[in-house]
Amino acid sequence: MATELPTTNGHETQDGEGNNFAVKAGLARMLKGGVIMDVVNAEQAKIAEEAGAAAVMALERVPADIRVQGGVARMSDPRMIKEIMEAVTIPVMAKARIGHFVECQILESIGVDYIDESEVLTPADHAHHVEKHPFRVPFVCGCRNLGEALRRIGEGAAMIRTKGEAGTGDVVEAVRHMRQVNEDVAGLAGLDDAALRVRAKELGAPFELVKRTAELKRLPVVNFAAGGVATPADAALMMQLGCDGVFVGSGIFKSGDPAKRARAIVQAVTHYKDPKVLAEVSMGLGEAMVGINVEKMPEAQRLAVRGW
Amino acid sequence: MTSPSRTLTVGVLALQGAFSEHVQLLRQAAQILGESTKPDINGSGNGNEGALNWRFGEVRTPAELAVCDALILPGGESTTMALVAARSGLLEPLREFVKVYRKPVWGTCAGLILLSESANRTKKGGQDLIGGLDVRVERNHFGRQCESFTADLDLPFLSATAAGVTPTSNSGKPAKPFRSVFIRAPIVEKILPHHTDGIQKEEAERDDTIVAPSKLPRDETARKAVSANVEVLARLPAGAVTLTPKGKTAREMGEEGAIIAVRQGNVFGTSFHPELTGDARIHVWWLEQVLDAVRKAE
Repeated sequence: MATELPTTNGHETQDGEGNNFAVKAGLARMLKGGVIMDVVNAEQAKIAEEAGAAAVMALERVPADIRVQGGVARMSDPRMIKEIMEAVTIPVMAKARIGHFVECQILESIGVDYIDESEVLTPADHAHHVEKHPFRVPFVCGCRNLGEALRRIGEGAAMIRTKGEAGTGDVVEAVRHMRQVNEDVAGLAGLDDAALRVRAKELGAPFELVKRTAELKRLPVVNFAAGGVATPADAALMMQLGCDGVFVGSGIFKSGDPAKRARAIVQAVTHYKDPKVLAEVSMGLGEAMVGINVEKMPEAQRLAVRGW
Repeated sequence: MTSPSRTLTVGVLALQGAFSEHVQLLRQAAQILGESTKPDINGSGNGNEGALNWRFGEVRTPAELAVCDALILPGGESTTMALVAARSGLLEPLREFVKVYRKPVWGTCAGLILLSESANRTKKGGQDLIGGLDVRVERNHFGRQCESFTADLDLPFLSATAAGVTPTSNSGKPAKPFRSVFIRAPIVEKILPHHTDGIQKEEAERDDTIVAPSKLPRDETARKAVSANVEVLARLPAGAVTLTPKGKTAREMGEEGAIIAVRQGNVFGTSFHPELTGDARIHVWWLEQVLDAVRKAE
């Protein structure tokens, strides 16, 4: 299923003076085959780095806690993000609310390496996402299907992830979203330009990006799994479905032995095709995060439906 | 009619990072090489070489490494790669590949860090290095992602090879500068003296600097390659422009002339990412170097 991402793809239509899409999409490529872990303080960031995380996501509350505590979830305190940036040498990402371009300006000014315009936080705009091209800092955005992914890339996202259902420890939604993207991409096969224009209209996505996706037979930027990954097997499942790497949010620091589980998930993402390694790293990990069964979750509590 | 064919296997370390990009460019490079150098190879006196085949593969295990004649260490996160290598039983085999057998190796960005004998600005508690290049690198030299940039490089070493005549010129000279991408890139801060037996002791005594462990080369050919001089192959041009707000040039930042490509015998390192362009010229050049080194070792 996994198709190669050509070395220059996505750049020619997006690259321009001053926005330098090659550099933005390039960092995402450097993260491939890696695990990006949610951390809430410097101590957790160091544990993640020591476990082999390719990057960390700095945030005040992991999604599981946002669910429990409720209220409006916003960008984290910049001071806390800076402390994490000082504690580790790997890239540090941070989340901004959907459409909240001022939070993005603030995150850019403190020098984070990637911004996640994230449905896990409470959306700040009912209709608009952030115009991401003018920023120097690259963006990652969530998607449930191809149309959503290409709309975000059209706005300037240099990296995509599945939305999944964050903070549940239930991988079913991440799988649903990845399978939907794969199915949508497969559906473009063999279509001529006229047919692709119709599909672009149906998907609500820019024609140029739809055409590029049809040529590449995959998303034109790096695509990670996110939302509900809790075990090494979950991570390898998403990799075998064609993801380029994995975000793990609540799954690590809400488990019994975070350091061990983090190491295991890192090994699982590298050796995702080798069941022997997967068996080995899955042994004796202690308790996984308790988890919420998404099927039994009321619609109003779902985060993945946020975003337009 | 068929002469016995010869296969050279080039691996790309696939623990994490941009390994698939290297594999794609190696395939492109082999094709360019096949088209542009076949007459030469046929005329070189060894009849077997007309049927040279390249095989390219991802390396995640010691068994996959063992069949490689040469290796690329790609860009990615060097801390992640070092940790995963150690946990996958690959760190010692990699050190043997580079320092004991001294097979041809190329590291880009994170790969350059792993190949250096000394590195600073590593994570707290340091990280494992493979070593093989007598240099000190500084990680994340230019800063964070917002300080990442692209630059057009003049790379004189490309002009002497088949790489120089492709894809845009037939004149034997590089037709255009090499557009290269620097992402949270390291630079070579210092060229170190070679220690024939032992680690970089002076480096080990510096604060916040880590060194690679020592390994003895297995034979005279390996010893020669290990103790070759470190050559500077490229420096940062004055006009390179960063992504910072006002788009400062390398000259304005005082970074003009920073060392960004080195070679020591058959080990090559670049702080930038030739794998993020569609331009296979450096890969073509490097495969020629590999071929040369393999012949010398025989």
